[in-house]
Amino acid sequence: MKIAIIDYDIGNVQSILNAFENQGVCAFLTREKNEILDADGVILPGVGAFSHGMGCLKKYNLIDTIKEYVKTNKPFMGICLGMQMLFEESEEFGTTLGLGLISGKVIKLPIQRSKFEKLPHVSWNELSNKNIRWDGTILNEIEESSDMYFVHSFVATPKDERNILSTTEYSGYEFCSSVKKDNIYGCQFHPEKSGKIGLKIIDNFVKICKEKNYE
Amino acid sequence: MSEKLDAYYGLPYKVKFCKKCVISNQRPSSTVEFKNEKGEKKKVINFNEDGICSACAYHDEKETGIDWEDRDKKLRDLLAQFRSDDGSYDVIVPGSGGKDSAYTAHVLKYKYGMNPLTVTWAPHLYTDIGWKNMQEWMHTGGLDNILYTPNGVLHKEMTKNAFHNLLHPFQPFIVGQRIIGPAMAKKFGVKLVMYGENQAEYGNSIEENTNPIMNMDFYSSDNALEMKFGGLSMQEYIDSGNYTKDDFAPYIAPEKQELIDAGVEVHYLGYYLKWDPQECYYYAVDNTGFQANPVRTEGTYSKYSSIDDKIDPFHYFTTLIKFGIGRCTYDAAQEVRNDKITRDEAAYLVKKYDTEFPNIYFKEFLEYIDTTEDEFWKTVNKHRSPHIWKELSGEWRLRHTVAKNGCDD
Amino acid sequence: MNKIRVIARIDVKNEFAIKGIHLEGLRKVGNPNSMAIDYYKNGIDEIVFMDAVAAYYDRNSLSNLIQSACKDVFIPITVGGGIRTVDDIRIALKSGADKVAINTAAVQDPDFINKASKIFGSQCIVSSIEAKKVDEDKWEVYTDNGREPTGLDVLEWVKEVEKLGAGEVILTSIDKEGTKKGFDLRLNQAVADSVSIPIISSGGMGNSGDAIHLLKNSNTDAIAIASVLHYGLENIQDIKRALLDNEIRVRL
Repeated sequence: MKIAIIDYDIGNVQSILNAFENQGVCAFLTREKNEILDADGVILPGVGAFSHGMGCLKKYNLIDTIKEYVKTNKPFMGICLGMQMLFEESEEFGTTLGLGLISGKVIKLPIQRSKFEKLPHVSWNELSNKNIRWDGTILNEIEESSDMYFVHSFVATPKDERNILSTTEYSGYEFCSSVKKDNIYGCQFHPEKSGKIGLKIIDNFVKICKEKNYE
Repeated sequence: MSEKLDAYYGLPYKVKFCKKCVISNQRPSSTVEFKNEKGEKKKVINFNEDGICSACAYHDEKETGIDWEDRDKKLRDLLAQFRSDDGSYDVIVPGSGGKDSAYTAHVLKYKYGMNPLTVTWAPHLYTDIGWKNMQEWMHTGGLDNILYTPNGVLHKEMTKNAFHNLLHPFQPFIVGQRIIGPAMAKKFGVKLVMYGENQAEYGNSIEENTNPIMNMDFYSSDNALEMKFGGLSMQEYIDSGNYTKDDFAPYIAPEKQELIDAGVEVHYLGYYLKWDPQECYYYAVDNTGFQANPVRTEGTYSKYSSIDDKIDPFHYFTTLIKFGIGRCTYDAAQEVRNDKITRDEAAYLVKKYDTEFPNIYFKEFLEYIDTTEDEFWKTVNKHRSPHIWKELSGEWRLRHTVAKNGCDD
Repeated sequence: MNKIRVIARIDVKNEFAIKGIHLEGLRKVGNPNSMAIDYYKNGIDEIVFMDAVAAYYDRNSLSNLIQSACKDVFIPITVGGGIRTVDDIRIALKSGADKVAINTAAVQDPDFINKASKIFGSQCIVSSIEAKKVDEDKWEVYTDNGREPTGLDVLEWVKEVEKLGAGEVILTSIDKEGTKKGFDLRLNQAVADSVSIPIISSGGMGNSGDAIHLLKNSNTDAIAIASVLHYGLENIQDIKRALLDNEIRVRL
């Protein structure tokens, strides 16, 4: 089982590596095209600014590689900024184009910032499934209202409702906290930082990779 | 270096540092302060043939060679002899409400059931935090206290003389501080006086540690007029026409026989209970409302030690001048022994803070001892022993430091 | 109302966890790695490791600890103490920390926060503020682990760090920390009311009642607790249940 974690100088990759290792899977960091294409599953981590993230992907010639990988139908998961970059564009610091793998935009959390409503959104917060089926996805066997760790100021707004896997509420605003489109997954939260439940999600991803590659 | 340099005060000619802590072999042992004269030879801390100081040797002894349960029992037996059953005071605890006396008084009252009267020999000039801690000692710690403030006019003059003649401004203070415990005991008809730590922990002779009782020489005298303050005897002050014997009432050490007849005994709690100054700090915060200094104390890295007197920093500054070791060395050496910091860390701290000049209360100190800044430095520089200091391009540098950054290292 | 985060603060010196009072004293309380794992297993929301002596020794040395802790602790980890340069941040994050807490370096050069948040993102940059009360409703910023006064007013400074791009603030009351006598409520109220970034309140918790009192009366977002855990005064689940019983939302 080969899980590639895209290395583009962004994100706390050590924790992701450790999370996979904890589940008994050897994940590795890479920016080599052939290693990525060859992997059984690929993770796109990321924290920080959208434009900076896209800039680094460009710098390391990873945009086409990612698009090519996704076409192989093998599982792909973006975490936090990694999920945001799956979309068409972001309004952070002016408009920046994303990977365009899922239709929709990334916008700033539309809450009125004040001493009551803080930004960034830093907290443990609940996942809602809104009658979406989680079986067989990365949220397989996850209980509704499970708390995951969020830290972000921007959110993705998928155009197609069917891409929404879970929603979460912050300061009265309901946003998309995870997505699924075919073989592509995205989590706005950090599964590698969300305790036991987060590790289960990592484990689910591994299982999906196993099924896809070894069925 | 071939020239033979002078070593003032009869200090050891070669400067050495303890291999375990950071104290140097120049550290003077405790002395009978009221016999302290100008130019007298100092007794210093002992180093064994492995280069380890007696304070460290004693500390090892503390860790492994002493049966502390047995010592506790000895303490209980001792206290049982003196404990009152009629509400009267049964032990005098001299102290300032700093961490050590706060611990001593509180533990004697609330753990061992004694009825202590704390007595404070007033600092020259209270710091805000010192005054606050002293008050909290009473109001939060639940203790009784007598604050004894000596005649400031005389005290200032003695301190001034002590500074200029001995470069030891604290000398008169220490005389009074040592006497007040036994003197109050005699006045109140209390027989037991309990201090905190035994100074032997810091490098007096090791034999002193095997004895819980303070040497009577420190606090009694058979001829008060010969007692020395700032290098001058009481008689000399009286002869000047400015003072009478009345003015010296707080400093007159009781006569030995009087104390023996009154059955006064002066003990160290540090003999009976394993002493850790930092743990005294924690205890004091938890039990007597003690607060650390809000800022780092000048000349060191710590905030919890010796913070009640504005003149205090100058005591340590003068030890730096005379012996080459400042406040940080003392603090760090203690913390190395008590396993809070490593020797390397201690050396680093000494390098960083030991020679820091205490600016905050400098003006007040000069006013207190009625001395100009020029006069201050003249006196200070007179006392720099050539075997410790070297003047290089108008700047004084230590020849040897524990961090090996002295100009002769 | 957002869920309040309950964070364990572990002060570290070399290989030991230590606990002082008023940011003074080096009493050893355990092994920081095992403590972090223990708290994680018992439901703590985050860990903050502070190098308590970085200021003394002009170094920072928690990389090894972070690397170890990350292997078994899957909640956010913040590291502070001696973070002075962009490289220090990079090394900390590479070792596995999610956030870094910066105090002295930011006071000496406020632009450092700006630079750091631009490079690593605001969410990585926590401004650590040590506050000492100097008057009614007035607190002074201290640096070097509560040793050096700066003359800066805490309320002014916290607004400044928000502008510079800090993602969060960890606010330590020097007067209360280690005393187990409760948080400095006025301080936390005043700071939380001054800015729109999350505030982590640190210093003074002795029991759940202290946390409830703080959280019900201020807009703070998280509590960083130390003595109450390190001395075993209350366990994490009991604290969280007490908060829930008092209508304060937390993750169970």
